[in-house]
Amino acid sequence: MQSFGQSPHKKTRHKRKRSKPKVRQMENTGYIALSRQGTLRREMSTIANNLANMNTTAYKGERMMFVEHLTRSKSADFIADQKLAFTRDVASYRNINDGPIEQTGNPLDVAIHGKGYFVTQGPDGDPQYTRNGNFRMDNTGQLVTQAGLPVLTQAGAPVFFAPEDTNIVITGDGTISTQNGQLGKLQVVEFDNEMQLKRAANGMYTTDQAAIAMDRPEVAQYALERSNVEGVMEMTRMIEISRKYKSIQNMLTKEDERIRKAIGELAKISQS
Amino acid sequence: MRSLSIGATGMLAQQRNVEVISNNLANMNTTGFMRRRTEFHDLLYQNLRRVGSTSSDAGDIVPSGVQLGLGVKLAAVYRIHEQGNLNPTDNAFDLAIQGRGFFQIQMPNGETAYTRDGTFQLNADGQLVTHDGYAILPNITVPSNAVDVSINTSGEVLVKLDGQVSYSNVGQLNTAIFPNDAGLESIGSNLYLETPASGNAATAAPGSTGYGTILQGFLETSNVNAVEEISNLISAQRAYEMNSKVIQTSDDMMGTLTSLR
Repeated sequence: MQSFGQSPHKKTRHKRKRSKPKVRQMENTGYIALSRQGTLRREMSTIANNLANMNTTAYKGERMMFVEHLTRSKSADFIADQKLAFTRDVASYRNINDGPIEQTGNPLDVAIHGKGYFVTQGPDGDPQYTRNGNFRMDNTGQLVTQAGLPVLTQAGAPVFFAPEDTNIVITGDGTISTQNGQLGKLQVVEFDNEMQLKRAANGMYTTDQAAIAMDRPEVAQYALERSNVEGVMEMTRMIEISRKYKSIQNMLTKEDERIRKAIGELAKISQS
Repeated sequence: MRSLSIGATGMLAQQRNVEVISNNLANMNTTGFMRRRTEFHDLLYQNLRRVGSTSSDAGDIVPSGVQLGLGVKLAAVYRIHEQGNLNPTDNAFDLAIQGRGFFQIQMPNGETAYTRDGTFQLNADGQLVTHDGYAILPNITVPSNAVDVSINTSGEVLVKLDGQVSYSNVGQLNTAIFPNDAGLESIGSNLYLETPASGNAATAAPGSTGYGTILQGFLETSNVNAVEEISNLISAQRAYEMNSKVIQTSDDMMGTLTSLR
């Protein structure tokens, strides 16, 4: 009898306790769908960025990587799985394959075949790395990137051309020479983990990793590396994303209908 | 939606690309024209998950963060100073520079302009001028009784006067070079002006170390390669189309959102 006396109170408390996760249960579908839609939108902007940079020198295409993010469902008597799977974008990764090499006819255009990055002196003194070998001379005859960062040699020094230097030759290993002799060798470096290079604007990368000098880089003068974005692949991905997005939207609508119907039906039952 | 504006930057960039290509093609037969090339850079990145951040207190490093790019921008439209073909014209005052260097032109406002277009003529005073009538520096006057004019590879202007056997020197053409040719400012009519980016002009007789030589009776054609330009045009057009598809798809995705309920 003691229990009986307590039970109404207990029951209501118990009910309240249970009703909370139940509400969540109803909305879980929405949250999960939303988590997926959010990642799809971000993947869409990655693809948009790839396509926007289709003609950007030495641009590397990016992909988004998703993981299942499992959370324990709050209710113990959940009919289906006890865990809920959300989607989360865990990383974006670069396609580090070489882009096609294009001839430009400019003696200060240098492309790297295979691995490696050119080293430039960033504005804050830290090195910045790039594969964009679209160099130019500034008014003092210094070899700089289009954004004006000095390009460094293996000795860590900038390259200066004399006004009379005409026949600028950059050999396959990066040695720069003119008719007046050798000026130095372009520094080309590689990294233990290329993926950890942080992208900065203007095709530059920064990193805390130690750069490893390459003994035998393979560079080509009068050429630039084009973007490695494959338009057709990106378009296909885009269609896929758009369809997925719509199907999730569809699912959300259906879910909304289901909840509405459930509420309606439940209301009918309680009325009768 | 980010992808909408990213697509827009892409379309804008390709539009500029097509503009530059069309200008190259329009100037395919312009004497001494240097083709331009558009160069693009990627825009800033938004860090959703910073590269090199740790994922646990044990110091596990995220293999590669989530960096979202925000589009593309035009970085430079640079001239490619590649030697154009030399076309024979059989005109004594058509000059071409083989190698590096620019002719110096006296502009009406007193400034010195530079050109590789060597379609020169004589004015009423016998002075060597461009087709716009601007004088060549240093001034060269060919006497009216000259029967033959010969300009040698080092820029010496030699004339044979009526009744004489030997040639006499009436002047010396100098050419100018710059530390950075690409930094010259184009002002149209095949003329360039010195800028802080180009560095100061150094002048010397053609054929000196670092200077190109002069060829009489030849003109330098533009260095535009039609096949290359057309293939660039096609790739620019396709890229434009793809970027417009990005905008279309983004709009579509937003449309499904608004059609909800």
